[in-house]
Amino acid sequence: MRAFASWCDKGRFSLPLRTSDVVCATPALALVTVTRAYGEKIALREVSLAVAPGEIHALLGPNGSGKTTLIRTLAGLLMPTSGAVSVLSMDASRAPQRMRQLIGLIPSGDRSFYLRISGLENLVFFGRLHGLRRGAATARARTLLEQVGLADAADTRVGYYSHGMQKRLSVARAFLTDPPILLVDEATHDLDPAGARRVRELVRVAAASGAAVVWATQRIDEIAGFAQRVTVLAHGRVTFAGSVSELVAQAEPSRYLLRLRNGRLAGSALLVALEQAIGPLGSIEVSADEFVLALADRAVLGEALVQLATGGIEILSCQPERSALEDAFVAVAEGATA
Amino acid sequence: MIELAVNAGRVDSLVGELAKLPAFLRRDLLVAWSYRFAFVGDLFNLAAQTLTFYFVGQMVDPSKLPVYGGTQATYLEFVAIGIGVSAFLLFGLGRVAQAVRGEQLMGTLESVLMTPTASPTVQIGSVFFDLIYIPIRTALFLLVVAVAFGLNFHAEGIVPAALVLLVFIPFVWGLGVLVAALTLTFKRGMGAIGLGALALGIFSGAYFPLSLLPHWLSSVAADNPIARAMDAIRTALLSNAGWAGIASDLALLAPLSALSLAIGLFAFKLALRRERRLGTLGFY
Repeated sequence: MRAFASWCDKGRFSLPLRTSDVVCATPALALVTVTRAYGEKIALREVSLAVAPGEIHALLGPNGSGKTTLIRTLAGLLMPTSGAVSVLSMDASRAPQRMRQLIGLIPSGDRSFYLRISGLENLVFFGRLHGLRRGAATARARTLLEQVGLADAADTRVGYYSHGMQKRLSVARAFLTDPPILLVDEATHDLDPAGARRVRELVRVAAASGAAVVWATQRIDEIAGFAQRVTVLAHGRVTFAGSVSELVAQAEPSRYLLRLRNGRLAGSALLVALEQAIGPLGSIEVSADEFVLALADRAVLGEALVQLATGGIEILSCQPERSALEDAFVAVAEGATA
Repeated sequence: MIELAVNAGRVDSLVGELAKLPAFLRRDLLVAWSYRFAFVGDLFNLAAQTLTFYFVGQMVDPSKLPVYGGTQATYLEFVAIGIGVSAFLLFGLGRVAQAVRGEQLMGTLESVLMTPTASPTVQIGSVFFDLIYIPIRTALFLLVVAVAFGLNFHAEGIVPAALVLLVFIPFVWGLGVLVAALTLTFKRGMGAIGLGALALGIFSGAYFPLSLLPHWLSSVAADNPIARAMDAIRTALLSNAGWAGIASDLALLAPLSALSLAIGLFAFKLALRRERRLGTLGFY
């Protein structure tokens, strides 16, 4: 992996950053108050974002929140309606060709290869467009195909590849020149768990070598222990920007799954007993075989559990209904809607 | 010193861009080879057309046909060059536009535009295979027809005819890129090719002499660059006129080709910029 310093040494970031969430002095990638409109529809509203070298920056948001528009704007496939994009201190609009040399993109769709030729030939073609000589492009392509688990399908036409295989080929293409910037749009969407882990590991290694990574995803669970910083988008606006732990801190879980030892009570009698025991501290819902304790505002979990135990309910276990990260994401995204 | 460094940088950049063209060539060769039946079908189509016109030629009075440098052409000689050059034009026009349309449909246009490849390289690269294949196909077609039907093509006219074809390439390419720009903008530009084909058939003199058109129309059609190219190739191959016979046609075609290419490339650049601005590059 190419040392990032060689890219960074070319100059310092020159655009005025205005948002408080920008923490790095010399970001590899920066968006400054970017707005992108499609006619009447505003897909991005004054979005600012900065990604430092070696950082994996997760981009979270529900469908239609603007993640793909943001990735495409960073990649130079879309021009911002207003605002500025900077890549390694360069104004992206002034040096688009140079910028593309620095960016590896893993697009969300799988329509990005020549279906009539093999995976290897596809990679060699794109490698050569990135300036590699044929021999070097072929050697690099073979190495990457091995790394993404496609070595056996190297000479198979891409038309015969599954969605997951095409996605892995897309990952391999993004790594052809070890770019200092990686834009990843739903890379693990079509992959099985092992394939997803392999891709995350490749990205992790790239980031450890200095690449700045923007990782757009809806799989909230995969950013814990993987991304350093998170930006949450909702309706084209940034609703949260900070570290993963700061995002988790936004979560205030209020719903818990309870496992009970029923004893003599069952069915509706048990439900009535639960409702009586919990009183004004919350309510109990039955979901399939599980009981869900929904705490009232300002109620404390410990107090509610004591109430239930005092009421004769035997609690075997209690756990949050969703992960803390999921809770935080919902809170942040729903906060934007409200 | 700085100026020298800048120039060296430009040369390196140009060399780097030129080095990418073989990659396009290999890609398109592999794709074309994967459609082997289409290759063969195309050759059969040409052969069938020629055979048809051979029999039509039996009914045509040669005195109705133009005389090239004092040589009276037969209808098959006349029409074989017409078929070859019009196929060259139609194939070229269609392939340039289809290259863009195909890339849009496959979703590969964005992938290619995401590489650090200059826009002109992408445009040339997209048709590089055809720029080589189509002239070879045209030359082979004329050679096969000449041998099979004993046509009287002059060997010394081959180089002048090839030069006319070479000068004609940027004209076709320019029109093709213009259609490609329309395709990029309006998503369906093949209608324009249909109109072009109609105009070609009637006003180029591919299948019948332009003198058969009404006088006012034939004088306009005679200045049609396509008709001039066709006439120049006929003069070169069917007469002993040599370079002198085609000089005026070349003098007209060269600037028109440059103009066509410049307009086409400019239109494509505008279309690409518009798509990036609107965010509809991947739409089809």
